[in-house]
This record gives sequence, C-alpha cells and structure tokens, in this order.
Amino acid sequence: MTGAATGIGAATADLLEERGYAVARNHLPGQRVAGHSAEADVSDPAAVARMVENVTRDLGPVDVLVANAAHMVMGGIDEVGAREFWRVVDTNLTGTFSCIRACAPGMAERGFGRIVSVASEWGLTGWPRATAYSASKAGIVSLTRAAARELGPRGVTANAVAPGIIDTPQLQVDADDAGLPLAELLERYAGQVPLGRVGRPAEVAEVIAHLVSDEAGTITGQIVSVNGGTV
Amino acid sequence: MALVTGAAGGIGGAAADALEAAGHDVVRTDLPVDVADEEAMAGLVAETEAERGPIEVLVNCAGHIVETPIERISDEEWNRMLHVHLGGTWHTCRAVGPRMGARGRGAIVNVSSELALCGAELHAHYCAAKGAIVGLTRALALELAPRGVRVNSVAPGATDTALLTDTWRTPGYLESLPVRRLSTPAEIGATVAFLASDAASYVTGQVVSPNSGAVV
Repeated sequence: MTGAATGIGAATADLLEERGYAVARNHLPGQRVAGHSAEADVSDPAAVARMVENVTRDLGPVDVLVANAAHMVMGGIDEVGAREFWRVVDTNLTGTFSCIRACAPGMAERGFGRIVSVASEWGLTGWPRATAYSASKAGIVSLTRAAARELGPRGVTANAVAPGIIDTPQLQVDADDAGLPLAELLERYAGQVPLGRVGRPAEVAEVIAHLVSDEAGTITGQIVSVNGGTV
Repeated sequence: MALVTGAAGGIGGAAADALEAAGHDVVRTDLPVDVADEEAMAGLVAETEAERGPIEVLVNCAGHIVETPIERISDEEWNRMLHVHLGGTWHTCRAVGPRMGARGRGAIVNVSSELALCGAELHAHYCAAKGAIVGLTRALALELAPRGVRVNSVAPGATDTALLTDTWRTPGYLESLPVRRLSTPAEIGATVAFLASDAASYVTGQVVSPNSGAVV
C-alpha cells in the first residue's frame, strides 16, 4: 500500500489489515505509519525496487498492490515550473508504473495478482489550476488499461478508482491555493455533490477492497469512480 | 428487504444469493409476473412492502437476449426488448425509488451489459435497451441522491449462464479476453451486492463492468 501515511492510503491499509492481509505501508522518509513500515519515495524507481525486495523478504510475495502515493501542486499553467510539474508526474504516474513493474512479474509467475491504482476524478474531467495533477492521474487511467490487457492472461487484474472530493490532508493544498479555510472549501465542494457531502477515505477504501477481492477476478481495466455522483 | 427481478436467471439468482448471504431478506420475482407490465409491477411493489417491509435494495435483472440481423428485427421484437429491459427497470424504479426517497435511504442496482458500452452485431435492440438503462441509471442517481438513494449499474461481460449464446463461448472469443474466461454468475452477484451495500456509500451514478477486460 503506497502513500499509506495519511488519507485514503491509511484507510485502505487499515481495512485490508482488518480483512486479514499483512500490509506493508509505504511512506516518505520522515513520515511515520502505524503498521509495517515500507519507506520509499516512489518517484525514485530504484527506491521502489528496494522497497519491494524488502517487503517480499519481510512479509512474503506481494499479491495485492495498491498504488496511491501522490503529490499535488496547484497553480496556473504559467505559474507551475518544470520542476514542480515533473515532481507531480514522477510521483503519481512514474511512481505507479515503478510499483507495478516491481510487483507484476512475481504476481504473473504465481498466476495471481490484484493491482488497484488511485486515479482521480480530476484525471477524468481535468481541473483548473491542477494541470500537472490532472495529467498525471489521466496517465494512471491509461496505464491501468494497458496493464490490464497485458497482465490479464497471467491471472493479474489491474483497475483504478477515481475518487472525487474526499476529506483528506491533500485538500489543504487546494484550500491554500483558493485562499480559503479548509472547512469553507469542504462546504463549498459538498454543495456541488449530488449526495450532498464530501467523501470519507474509508469509503474509497471499501471500493479498493472489493476490487482486490477474490470475487473480482473478471473486473479488470475498469475505472470506478467514488464521487457521490458528480460524474 | 431486497427485491430482485429476473431472479430465476443465472445472474439474478446469484445476485439474490449474494444479498441473502449479506443478511437481506430477499424477495425474488420472475415470470409470469411481467416487468413490462407497469400495473403489475406497481402492485407487486405495494404488496411486497405491505407484507415484508420496506424495500431497501432493488436489483433489476429481468431480461432476455435474441440475436437478429437489423433487417429482420420486427417491431414486435424491438418493442418487447425495450419494454422488458428499459420498461421493466423503469417500472420498478418508479415504484420503488420515491418510496426509498421518502424514507431517506435505499440502493438500486440496474443490470445493463458490456454490450451497452461496446455494441455488437446482431444485437441492435439488445444494445439499445441496455444502453438506455445506463442513461436511466445516471439520471435517477442525480435525482435521488439528495434523498439518500444511490443508483448504480453493473454491466456484465459474457457470463456463464443459460442465457449466454454460443457466440460468446467459442475458443476464439475466450482467447480474445485478457482474463481468458467467462465471468461466473457468482462474480457478477458479488459486484451487485457490493454496490447495494453500505460499503459503497459514496458510489452513485456509476457503471461497473466485470467483463474479463473485454471493454476497458
């Protein structure tokens, strides 16, 4: 489980542990996690490879990969520099790819695997002042579909969830950019959601848990939105 | 209580089983009660609620499939296809949705098809009817969300039921699927039951397609 220190990642790690999985919780250097720690900055492919080796040694082969680690920067197209742009893409898209590349061969060899990547509603719709983030998440959508086609014959499914507005620490970046207190931003977003509220990390975790379950063996290449009805 | 139409069929039966396993009291309907008959469905819903309590989950699964070239689809065959799939789904949603809305709670799952997403030759009427179910699902999701009711669709790919024709069982077709096999009814039932459950509390207006990777 990458990006497991907070938000959707932490909630998913908790839920999968509750369901009986041994869960390795990836986090950035300097962050702390509640369970088994798997430190790596996923934007560094070598660090990802080392992490997967360590996790395999400590907990056994990886049967389920949830690629969730993400970085968000907000700002106008003319404001986001190349360095910031690539930091977002390297973490979100290349990070997801590196994790899949490190885990998929073992899954395919054993004939079973479940991969769920966390995309975003903004990866489907685009969003102003979030060009790098939207592009990286849209990349995850296509990466997921390609991986599903390639890995399906070897017993590995690959899907993505596309969360809408979820109450996670990441929203603080959005609030800062809008110059609003977080509570006010949440209220504004809630008014735009048909279900009338923003989502909870645990609600995304439940969908991920379904997609990695044994029963979801013929769900592959799919993008499941968890957004309260916005798209 | 959960109401499942088309419950004598493979997918409907499996969905009913999965809901029962999740602890629901399940009412299973199928022919001769005809989902295309609006009065009959309204009566069934009223009667069922009077006898068994509020319908918390509605699964629309009643359907049939016919393979016919466009020029040979008669008006009768076209209308029957639309009236059973779209009409049947509409009749139960119209009877049950407002009742759920008044109680502030409910989940509806409409069974569409992968063919609504990708089309298929000889299936013009089936694809049109299943596509319409997707549109209906999205509209109802928006309209009923403020009242606490979620509406989603499952669009199964080729599933190993009695209804599945030989077209979808050839070695060539199976080989074309990334997962290389048909879905089992139980797999589709599990996804229906998931969307109907509180675990899917932030999922509405969505189409989930367990299709072995045929349509991504």
